[in-house]
Amino acid sequence: MSELPDWQIEIDQAAIRWQAEIDDAAALEALRSLEVRALGKAGEIPGLMKRIPQIPPQDRKAFGQAVNALQAHVAATIEARRQVLVEALIAAELQDATFDPAAVALPLKLGHPHPLSTVQADIEAIFTSMGFHVLDYPEIESEFDNFEALNIPGWHPAREMQDTFWLESGHLLRTHTSAGQVRAMHQFPAPFRAIFPGKVYRYEATDASHEHTFHQVEGLMIDRKVSVGHLLDSMRTLLSAILQREVEIRLRPGYFPFVEPGFELDIRCQVCAGDGCSACKRRGWLELLPCGLVHPNVLRAGGLDPEEWQGWAFGLGLSRLVMMRYGVPDVRLLMGGDLRFLSQF
Amino acid sequence: MLVSWRWLSQFVDTRGVDPLHFAGKFTTTVAEIDDVVQWGFGLREVRVADVIAVAPHPNADKLRLATVDLGERTVQVVCGAPDLAVGMRVPFVPPGVTLPSGITVRDGEVRGVASPGMLASEKDLGLSDENAGLLSLDGCDAPAGTPLHLAIELEDVLYDVDNKAITHRPDLWGLYGVAREVAAMLDKPLKPFDLSLDFASPAPLTIAVEAPEACPRYTCARVAGVAVQPAPVNARLLLRRLGTRPISNLVDATNLVMLETGNPLHAFDARFLRGNAITVRRALPHETLTTLDGQLRHLQAHDCVICDAVGPVALAGIMGGADSEIRPDTTEVVLEAANFDAPTIRRTAMRLGMRSESSARFEKALDPALAAVAARRFLKLCLAWSPDAQIVSHLADVGPFSAEAKPLTVLRTTGSYLRERLGVTAAELPDAWLDACLTRLEFQVARDGDALAVTIPSFRATKDVKIAEDLIEELGRHYGYDNVRSEAPRVAARPPYTPPLKLLERQVRTTLVHAGLTEQVLYGFDDEDTRKRLGLAEPAPLTRVAVRNPIASAHTHMRRNVLPNLLAVAEKGLVQGDDGQPARKGLNIGVFEIGRVFVPEKSNDRGLPPVLVNGTADDLAAYTAGMEGEMLRGVLDARAGSTPLPLQPIRLGIVIAERLGGGAEGSKLVFPAPEVTHRLLQQLIATLHHLLKWLGKEPLTLQARGPAASLGAPDATPSWRSDLGFDLVATTGETIGFVAALHPRVRIALDQPAQAVVAELDLTALERVPAFKRVNP
Repeated sequence: MSELPDWQIEIDQAAIRWQAEIDDAAALEALRSLEVRALGKAGEIPGLMKRIPQIPPQDRKAFGQAVNALQAHVAATIEARRQVLVEALIAAELQDATFDPAAVALPLKLGHPHPLSTVQADIEAIFTSMGFHVLDYPEIESEFDNFEALNIPGWHPAREMQDTFWLESGHLLRTHTSAGQVRAMHQFPAPFRAIFPGKVYRYEATDASHEHTFHQVEGLMIDRKVSVGHLLDSMRTLLSAILQREVEIRLRPGYFPFVEPGFELDIRCQVCAGDGCSACKRRGWLELLPCGLVHPNVLRAGGLDPEEWQGWAFGLGLSRLVMMRYGVPDVRLLMGGDLRFLSQF
Repeated sequence: MLVSWRWLSQFVDTRGVDPLHFAGKFTTTVAEIDDVVQWGFGLREVRVADVIAVAPHPNADKLRLATVDLGERTVQVVCGAPDLAVGMRVPFVPPGVTLPSGITVRDGEVRGVASPGMLASEKDLGLSDENAGLLSLDGCDAPAGTPLHLAIELEDVLYDVDNKAITHRPDLWGLYGVAREVAAMLDKPLKPFDLSLDFASPAPLTIAVEAPEACPRYTCARVAGVAVQPAPVNARLLLRRLGTRPISNLVDATNLVMLETGNPLHAFDARFLRGNAITVRRALPHETLTTLDGQLRHLQAHDCVICDAVGPVALAGIMGGADSEIRPDTTEVVLEAANFDAPTIRRTAMRLGMRSESSARFEKALDPALAAVAARRFLKLCLAWSPDAQIVSHLADVGPFSAEAKPLTVLRTTGSYLRERLGVTAAELPDAWLDACLTRLEFQVARDGDALAVTIPSFRATKDVKIAEDLIEELGRHYGYDNVRSEAPRVAARPPYTPPLKLLERQVRTTLVHAGLTEQVLYGFDDEDTRKRLGLAEPAPLTRVAVRNPIASAHTHMRRNVLPNLLAVAEKGLVQGDDGQPARKGLNIGVFEIGRVFVPEKSNDRGLPPVLVNGTADDLAAYTAGMEGEMLRGVLDARAGSTPLPLQPIRLGIVIAERLGGGAEGSKLVFPAPEVTHRLLQQLIATLHHLLKWLGKEPLTLQARGPAASLGAPDATPSWRSDLGFDLVATTGETIGFVAALHPRVRIALDQPAQAVVAELDLTALERVPAFKRVNP
């Protein structure tokens, strides 16, 4: 049995020593500093190569191979140890029981859109998707647009029925979005279809269900050969989209000077499915909106020949729709500005 | 308006029709029924009884013992009614019966005297609220003991028709008109009125209609020998359940005929008409009249009055005078059945605050043809209810109305046009059905192939039927809108137009909400109370749009800026808390509004179609071709009298406010460190930079605010600070708005120690800010 040369013993012992140190490294940081000490440019193992001149010439090749083998072994051992430590850290990370999902504070504060805007935006999106222009007309209007052009002459009781805010200038605050009908007819060549939402004003005392200022959406379709059948189809389609359910509708005779025939449109009560309940006052139907075929005089005021063009129109109470959708009990909340109310939307 | 099914059935054969079920169809065909009421049921055990003896109750002063004849037997019961008297016919309720009012009649003793049964009032029987005495059955000639429901008219169904649903239908304000619709629905004949009467030859009075435009028709007759007494029990109960108090045969007859025909009537006591002449004229200056209700009325020139030789005796179509009203000893009456002009009656009734059953009907524009019908119906009843009465005059008929002078309008159209508008085919709605439907509604139909000449009956011609399109409704409602096929319109597929400002508004709203602000939608009115309380700059005269009829003392002007109303809600938020956060020191809230403001400068919008503003004579002729009457007049008037509308720009207002410390009672005088105000201004300005970036616009620069405040009304005292106020200027040089901190005086006036900063931007100007040019990579 030949004696091992001293350098060989030294390398074997170094391997054992490094193995022990690596096994002892309990954290990734310790392992990394150990790696630097063992394998770094100025590390111990690369440093062995500087001893080549002191090694007998016949051993130098073997010495070099032994140092390289040591270096590879230590590197592999470190890498294996690192894997173990990483696995342990992953396992530990997966055991986090300290997080409380309830204890969350938002770093940023979001504001709130007004529910009238939200519902109006929904309605605008629905009508836009069906090819309706979305228009905006003035709140201070002429008597002509608000009354005359809508076939409501001066003596007409409708002018008293819709109690009106008058301005010193002789103009008025529009009492309905219908005031935009004739404007739209002059703005767009027939055929067209449009909605115009907005604020309207009535001279009436406020209570839980009445406001002197509220919001409506007017709908107007002008085309050839428009019939009650078209009105029925359009209303059912649009109301189903707005109310997000299939609605059953019915038309009752209703009188509005600017439509002929004119209707009150009812929807089947969703609370009782038509059996009659307190929500619909035991009628099974809820009155939703007035509508009808555009009166020939209104078409004439819009510069259209009633022989050639007809249309349908409706006026939807936006404030009422907001109240229905969110269960708002008092219309005054909508324009009351109370942040405790508005921050719920 | 209440409609009695039982009464209606006197004019239409309704056998086999269940009125409860029929109500739904009536609602969709004629007018909405608010409520269906069953009246006079559950009384089949009640009997007719004759009071044959009355004796005092031995143990009670207010009770008496009544012996009543029930036909096969007599019974003695205790009765507390003050009007109990021998000879009365009254209802008797046998023991064991529970009445609709909830009273169960017992076979017991009352104060020690046996009382096997009860004599009943109207209230006891659930017929009305009347409880002053027994229901008098005098005049009912059924034998004693007859079940009540066989002796008098009970068991009725009442439709409570929504008055708002019939404002355009003067014909439906009388039962007969409703019966006409029901007859058409059931395809049954409508029984004509019996109007046959013998008149005498003299004139009732000399009648002169001096205001023919206010009184198209005045009919009048004179009846002598009348005896004022209660009307027959059926008539009294009918009036009761229709909501009218029975008074006497004469007054009840006027009311009943009004409810039946729809035409109001008035009966004068002939003794109190001075002179021998009636004049219908406008009131004279300073004229007065004491009306039936005892009120002294001051008349004005447009009021229409009925006068005798001395002065007004009735306010035409609204209420009679107190002096000539029917009294218990009236023996001779002058009956008026007239037609009055709707706007005249409406104006007077509104001004005097006296909307009566009569004025409510005349306001609807009644058919002048109805007046003579109503007069004859009254005279028939008057003779029937007063055995010695006789007509001592002819039926005077004065005024411009006559069937010859005003021929009925004929509408010319085609069957195919009406069907096309309704959306039905000739197979679904054949010619024969179309003609029959209109005929049942008393239109006269002359057909030549597809062409139709349809004569409007007089009772539809005063208001709701004027043009061929009106016939679509007549056909549609009787055909049933439920039977009209729903059909998708054929429309061109084109992308819709949305105004750029609308798109901008949506983006601004979304961005600001994401930036933590809460949107507000507030009144278009300025709020004087807020302005005064906060000491906001008082707008110079005529810089705001004034409201002629403000509904509240604070709402006399339209807002010229969005900020005052917005500041008030921010202030409220600082007191009430926001987003679940309590109101405490450091509470920071942000609100914004996008809305119109009103600037009394002339815009180039006159609220008229362009053709009326700058069209040539030819354009105007083309535009007004086909317009008639009211419409044409209205259009020409509008053209002549129009003035430009004020400017109505859409503005964006922002208020950011923060609650400061201190603020115990009396220590509102808190002066925040400059850093607090700077921080809030930075928050607001950062939000605006963020907004412009999100909108893809070039950034704004802030420039010290000049004396000419860009968006505010010219200020006498400042609302906002000028040292901490900056104009928002676009790269084009245009000022589009401003930001500023509150003036310390305004801040101190706030409800709570707080600081606030504000911004107001014009949305149209914001829209004009150029898009941000992206640099090359």
